[in-house]
Amino acid sequence: MAHHTVRSVFRETYPSQIIGSLSVTGIRASSWSRSCASLALMLLGVASVVAPAQTRAEDAADTFHQKVEPILRRHCYGCHSHASGQMESGLSLDWKSGWVTGGDRGPAIVPMQPEASLLIRAIEHTDAELKMPEEKLHPDDIAILVTWVRQGAFDDRAIEPQATEPTAWWSLRPLIAPPIPKSPNTSERGLQENPIDAFIDEKLTDAGLSINKPASPRDLIRRLSYDLTGLPPSPEDVEAFAADPSPEAYRRWVDRLLDSPRYGERWARHWMDTIHFADSHGYEHDVGRDNAWPYRDYLIQSLNQDVPWSRWIRQQLAVDVFEPEATDLIPALGFLGAGTFDLSTYSTGPVTFDYLDRDDLVTQTMAAFASTTANCARCHAHKFDPIAQEDYYALQAVFSGIVKGDIPYDADRAIGTQRRQWIAMRDAAIARQEGALNSEVAQKLIADWVEARGDGAVWQPLDLQSYVSMEGSNLIKRADESLIASGPSPDTDAYVLTGSSSCSRITALRLELLPDDSLPMKGPGRCQNGNLHLSEVSIRLFEPGSKEGRPIRIARATADFNQEGWGVERAIDGDNKTAWGIHPAVGQPHQAIFEFEQSVEIAAGTIVTVTLKQLHGGSHLIGAFRLSLTDGPPGQAIALPQAIETALKIPSSKRSPEEQLSIAAHIVRLAAEAELAKLPVPSKVFAAGTSVSIPTGNGKDQAAAIAGPKVVHLFQRGDINKPQQVVGPGALSVLQHTASRFDASVMDKESARRAALADWIAHPENVLTWRSAVNRVWHYHFGRGLCDTPSDFGRMGGVPSHPELIDWLAVWFRDDARGSLKQLHRLIVTSRTYQQRSDERPDAAEVDAENRLLWRQNRMRLDADAFRDYVLAFSGRLEFAMGGPAIQQFHQQPGPQSTPKLDYAVYDWSSPGSNRRSIYRYVWRGIPDPMMSSLDFPDLGLLAPVRGFSASPLQSLALYNNPFVLHHSQIAAARMNDMAKDSSEAVRQTIRWAYQRDPTDREQAMFQTYMDEHGLAALCRVIINSNEFLFVP
Amino acid sequence: MPDPISNRRQMLLQSGGGFASVALANMLAENARSDSHDRDVHGGRVQHHLPKVKRVIQLFMTGGASPMDTFDYKPELERLHGQMLGPTEKPEGFTAPAGAIMKSPFAFAQYGECGRWVSNLFPEQAKLVDEMAFLMAMTTKTNVHGPGTYMMNSGFLLPGFPCMGAWISYALGNLTDNLPTFVVLPDARGLPYNQQGCFSAGFLPAIHEGIVIQATSKNPIPDLMPDVRYEFANGSADRDGLNLLNKINQLHRESNSGDTRLDARIAGYELAAKMQLSAPEAFDLSQESESTHESYGLPKASTSDFGRRCLLARRLVERGVRFVQVWSGPQGAVNNWDNHGNIQTELPPMTESVDRPIAALLRDLKARGLDSDTLVIWTTEFGRTPFAQGSLGRDHNGGSFVTWLWGAGIQPGVSHGRSDDWGYQAVENKTWCYDLHATILHLLGIDHERLSVRQNGIDRRLTDVHGHVIHDILA
Repeated sequence: MAHHTVRSVFRETYPSQIIGSLSVTGIRASSWSRSCASLALMLLGVASVVAPAQTRAEDAADTFHQKVEPILRRHCYGCHSHASGQMESGLSLDWKSGWVTGGDRGPAIVPMQPEASLLIRAIEHTDAELKMPEEKLHPDDIAILVTWVRQGAFDDRAIEPQATEPTAWWSLRPLIAPPIPKSPNTSERGLQENPIDAFIDEKLTDAGLSINKPASPRDLIRRLSYDLTGLPPSPEDVEAFAADPSPEAYRRWVDRLLDSPRYGERWARHWMDTIHFADSHGYEHDVGRDNAWPYRDYLIQSLNQDVPWSRWIRQQLAVDVFEPEATDLIPALGFLGAGTFDLSTYSTGPVTFDYLDRDDLVTQTMAAFASTTANCARCHAHKFDPIAQEDYYALQAVFSGIVKGDIPYDADRAIGTQRRQWIAMRDAAIARQEGALNSEVAQKLIADWVEARGDGAVWQPLDLQSYVSMEGSNLIKRADESLIASGPSPDTDAYVLTGSSSCSRITALRLELLPDDSLPMKGPGRCQNGNLHLSEVSIRLFEPGSKEGRPIRIARATADFNQEGWGVERAIDGDNKTAWGIHPAVGQPHQAIFEFEQSVEIAAGTIVTVTLKQLHGGSHLIGAFRLSLTDGPPGQAIALPQAIETALKIPSSKRSPEEQLSIAAHIVRLAAEAELAKLPVPSKVFAAGTSVSIPTGNGKDQAAAIAGPKVVHLFQRGDINKPQQVVGPGALSVLQHTASRFDASVMDKESARRAALADWIAHPENVLTWRSAVNRVWHYHFGRGLCDTPSDFGRMGGVPSHPELIDWLAVWFRDDARGSLKQLHRLIVTSRTYQQRSDERPDAAEVDAENRLLWRQNRMRLDADAFRDYVLAFSGRLEFAMGGPAIQQFHQQPGPQSTPKLDYAVYDWSSPGSNRRSIYRYVWRGIPDPMMSSLDFPDLGLLAPVRGFSASPLQSLALYNNPFVLHHSQIAAARMNDMAKDSSEAVRQTIRWAYQRDPTDREQAMFQTYMDEHGLAALCRVIINSNEFLFVP
Repeated sequence: MPDPISNRRQMLLQSGGGFASVALANMLAENARSDSHDRDVHGGRVQHHLPKVKRVIQLFMTGGASPMDTFDYKPELERLHGQMLGPTEKPEGFTAPAGAIMKSPFAFAQYGECGRWVSNLFPEQAKLVDEMAFLMAMTTKTNVHGPGTYMMNSGFLLPGFPCMGAWISYALGNLTDNLPTFVVLPDARGLPYNQQGCFSAGFLPAIHEGIVIQATSKNPIPDLMPDVRYEFANGSADRDGLNLLNKINQLHRESNSGDTRLDARIAGYELAAKMQLSAPEAFDLSQESESTHESYGLPKASTSDFGRRCLLARRLVERGVRFVQVWSGPQGAVNNWDNHGNIQTELPPMTESVDRPIAALLRDLKARGLDSDTLVIWTTEFGRTPFAQGSLGRDHNGGSFVTWLWGAGIQPGVSHGRSDDWGYQAVENKTWCYDLHATILHLLGIDHERLSVRQNGIDRRLTDVHGHVIHDILA
C-alpha cells in the first residue's frame, strides 16, 4: 500500500526519472517496473520500431529486469553504484553508460562477446588479479550473465541515477513544527482545539470524511483505563464517570490513571517488548537471569516518575556516567543486557560472539531510540537508507568495551556514596597520591588506626598436640612450638595441625614462616628457590564431645610480603589453584595474619585444627613455621610489610617524607579496605559492564572482564575473516546535529563511549529520536503508529499517514512538554480523535478501509499480559504488590544441560505470587508460556515493537481449558456469589465486573438458565472467553 | 470402512466433549470462511507453480551427525590415521584444538544400484538408498549448536526468525481443520538446542508456530481438554458453555460489525471443537496393528521412542498435518549426536535408535501411497571433524555434512555435491540451508524468492538473500 503511494507520486511527477529512482532506491522489479521499462523505451524513441521487434525488445527487457539486474544489484552495486556512493575503479553498473564507458580498465562489457568482457572474466574468476566478487557467484547466476552478454547485453537504464538527497526522506528532514491547520471545528465548538484534531480533521476533510461520534462514557473509560494502566475500571468507576462525563471529569480521570502506579507497570511492558527484554539468555544454554528484574523495576519507577525522555535515554545507556551518585539507578543499565546471550559461542567462538552480541545491542539501541535499522548496514552500505557500513561499525565500537552479565550496585544511595568514597580512598592510597593522603580525612584515619593498633596484638602459640603431613613430609616440633619439615619432599602436601589455646576467645590466626639453614636458600619454603605456595588455609574448632568441627570463617588476610601475583588473599579465596607466595624475599622470616569474621569464644577443652593446603606442585612447601592465636580487638591483628613496621617504630617527627608517605599509603589502603568490607553486599542487576559475572546455569556464575574497549574493524561483507580498517566509536553520519564520530577523548574509556552515544541520541536536534518517541506512544494509544513500523522509519518502513502531525508532536514533546511522557499521553487522550467511537462506518471504509486517516478509533484486543491481568482483576485476586524478583509460574526441573525443563501445565495457581500482574512473570526466552504465546506474546529472540493478532483453535483451547482460566473462573464465581444475595444478582455482578455494564434482560435470562444448570464458575469461564471481555472498544 | 461422519458423531456422543455440538454443527454445514483477514493471519494459499509435495516430515538429528561414520565414506582417513594434519589454531566454535586424523571405526560397504557407501551403523536405511537423494556437501556458517540449529531451521544464525515449518504454514495454510498445521515431536528426553526457538513463528502470526507434542503424554495438545479436577468445566457444562459462548459472541458481533477479528475468534472455537474430536484418535497408536508396531521398533527399548514418533508422524501427515518434525536426541552432552568423547561408543546407540524406525516409516508411507505427495528429509545442524577430539571423539564441524531427501518430486538414487577427501569441507556443489529450503519450498509450489514478509526494514525470506533450487536432485 505504502509503496503504491510512493510510486504513484513518482509516476505523476517525474516520469523521466523513474528508472533512475528505481535503481537508486532498489525497489524490487515488479509488473509496474516492467511497464516503466516500456515507458522508458518509448521516451527514448524505441517505440517506433515494428511490432515483432518490439516484442523481442520487451522480452529482453523482461529478462534484464527480472534476472540480470537483480544479480547486479545484489552482488555488484555495493561497490559499483550511485546509491552506495562507491564506484570502485571508476566503474558503475547501475546504468548502461556505466559499463559501456567502464572504469580504469576500460569497458566492462563487450556485447555478444562474453569471453572479451571484463565483467564476465571477473565473475568467472578467469584472471587471478581480477576475481569479483571474491566469493564466486553461483553457477546459475554466472550463466544468466553470460547469456545476457552473449545475446547483446540489453540494458535500457539510460539515465544516470541520482544519488537521492539522503535527508529528503521524511524521518531525516529537519525537525520543524508545521503550522497547525485551521479547523472549522474550532469556532463551531467554541472550544480550544486540540492540535491533534486539527491535523487529523484536515486529512479527513480532504478525503471527504469526518471523525466519528464521541464514544460512550463507558467505552471511553474502559479504553482509557486499558491504555494507561492495562487494567479494567471498576463498575463503580464506570458508573461515576457515566454520571458526570464532562471534559473536566474526564481530565480528572486521566490524571488519576496517570498518577496510578499501574501506569508504569503497563508502559514498562511496552518498552520491554521493544527491546526484547527477557529473564533468560536464549540460544543453546538458555540460562535464567535471576537478576534481570531490577531493570524492570527501574522502568516502572522511572515511568511513574515521568523522567524526561532525554534523561531516560541517558540513564539507560550510561547512568554511571551521567548520574554517578545515583547508584540506585544503576539498574537502568539493564537496557544493555536486555537481549540474548549465546553462552556457547561466547565460550568457543569469541570473535563471532563479540561481533554478533554487539550487533544485537546496536540493533536494539538504534531501533528502540531512533527507529533506525542500522544493522542492515552490517555487510554493505544500507541498501535503502543513507547509512554507511562504517557507521554501523562505529556503533559497534561504542559497545566494544562491555560484556553482558550481572553487575553490582548499591540500592541504597548512602551506601553507594560511602562505597565510592572508600574506593576512591583506596585507589588514592594504591597510587600514593600525596594530596589525598595528606587530607584531613586520611590523616585522621591514620591516627585512629595507629592508636587502635597500639603495640599490636599479643600472640599465643598454638599448643600443638598433633601435626600431620598428608603426603609424608617429616614434621618435627621444636621447643618454641614451631615446626620444621624434613625428609622426603613431596610434590604437593597439606599439613593438619591440632592443638589447644589458652585464650578464652580468639579473633585471628597468625602463620609465621621461619628461615632455617637446613632449607634450600634458607627457606622458609622447601622449593629449590626457597619459595612456598599456600593454596588455602582453613581453621576448625572441635568443642568437647563434638565430632563435627565448626569452621571459622576468615574475613581478611594480610601478610608482610606478597609475591607479585601471589597475594595472601589467594590463600582464602576458596580456589585451590591460587596461592600465596613470598618469592623473591627468601631466606627471611615472614608472616601472614588471618582475621576471623567474628571473635570466637572457646570453651575449655576445645581443640583447634588448622589445615594448610599446599597444592601448587614442584614442592612449593612450607619449611619452618609457627601458628599462633590472639584475642586482640579488630585492627590489631594485621601483618605489615617489614619496611612499614620499621618505619612505624621511628617517632613520626624523625621519619623521612618517603617513610611518611609509605606508612600513609599502606594504612589508608588497609583502613579503606576494612571499611569496604563492612559495607553490605551489593545488589546485582543483569546488564553489561567491564567486569561482570555471567550466569551459566545451576546457580553458577562465570567472571568476565574487559580491560579496555576492543578494537573494532569494518568487516568486508560482514565476514569476520575479512577485517578492513579500524573504526572508532560514533553514530550515523547522515545526521548533522552533532559530530558522528566521537571525540578522541572517549577512545580509552568505554563508559565515555556510551555516554557519547547517549548524548548523540538524546540531542534536541536529533530528528529521529523525537519522532520515534511520539510515534511509539501513538502506536499504543491507537493500535497503530502514524508510521506503522515504530522501530523503522527508513524507506522499508511504513509511510506515515500524517508526517506533519508526527513532526508537530515531536517538537511539542521536546519543547513544550520537555520530554514528559505523561504530558504526551494527556494531549493524545484528550483529543477528539482519541475519544471517538470505534465502530465501523461502511461509507468511510470504502474510502479508507485501513482507517489510516482515523475516521474511527481502533478496537483493541487485550494483549496477552492484559488478558491475564483482566482475568485476575475479574476474579478479585489481583495483587498490587510491586517489584522484586520475577515470579516463576512454572514447575522447574534440571534439564539435560544448563537449560532447565519447564512445565507450565502443573503450576499451582494458588501459590504465592501467582496473582501478581503479568509484568512480574519470569519470561523464559526459549520456553515461553503456551497460553501467553497463543495470545501473541512475542518471541523475544527479536525486538517486538508491535504485537501481532491471531485467532486460532489453539488459542481457543488455551482460553477455554487452561488451568489459569479455570482456576480463576472458580475464584471469580465465589466472589460474585459473595457479593450477591440471590442468583440473579450473582449474574448481574458477573457481567458488571466482566463488562463494566449491567446485563440486558435477554442476557440475564440466558446466563441465568445456564448458571442454574451448571453453576456460576462455568458461566465465568464462558464470559472470560467472550469477545466482549477480550476486546476494548 | 465406517462412514467417518457418523463415526465421529458417535465419538462425540460418547465423549460428550465440550466443543462437540459446535463441531457437529460445523461439520454438517461446512461453512467455509474466506475473508481476507483469515488469509492474512491463518496462512494464505500461496502457489507459484504446481506443487509436487503437499506434506513434509523432517527428521532432525540433534548434535551434529557424523558424516564420515555414516554416509560419507572417506578411505583417505584410513591412510592418514593418526597424523596431525588439522588446523594448528583452534577454529571458532571448535570446543577443543584439533587432534590427529581419525579413521572411521565402522565398516563401510556399497549398496543399491546407485552404489552409495553406507557404514554398518545404518543397515536398514542402506537397503533404501536407491530411493533417496543425497546432499553430500551441506555446509553451514557456524560450528556452534545454538546458531547452527537455528540456521538449519530458520536460515538465520540468530533467534527470532520463523522456522521452515512456520513459513510453510504461513504460505500454504492447513490441509485439515482437525489438527494443527505444524507439529513438532521432540525426543522424550528433552527439547533440542534453543528450546522452542527452533519451532518459533518468529515475527509471523503466532498461529504458525510449531505445536510441541509429547508423544507419550496423556494430553498431547496443550489444553485440549479441561482437567478433570474442574468439574464445572466438564461434561454438559462444557458443551452448553460453548453454545452459550457462540451465542453471545454472535450478538456482540452484530453490534460491532465489520471487524473480521471477531469472526476469526468465533471460528477459532469451531476449529478447536474439531480438533478436540480428531486429535485423540490421531494420537492413539493402539489403533495400529501389532506388525506395524513391530516394524517401527516400538516393542524394543532402543527404538521405541523414535519409532513411536515416526509412526505418529505418519498418522499425522495421513490426517492432514502439513509439516511434522521428528527430533532425535535432546540438547546436552549425552543421548544425542554430539559425540565428542568417543565416536565408537556414543554414535551406535543413536544410529540404532533411528535406523529401523526410519526405514519402517519410508516403507509404510510408500505402502499407503503417501509417497506420492509426501517429502521426508533427514538432516542435522552440522557435521563432525575428521580429526579426533581427545583420542576417540569428533568435534563440531560446519564444513561439511550430509542430508538426504525422499519422496515426492525427488529423483531417487542421486547424489549432489562432494566433500574433500577428509570430509572436512564441502568442495563441490556446496549446499547451504538456503538451497535446501529453496528446494523444499519449490517442491511445495513456492518460489522462495517470492515468499517474503516485511519486518523491521527488510523483506525477510526463509532463504534470506540466498538460495538456489537444487534441480539435480529433482525428478
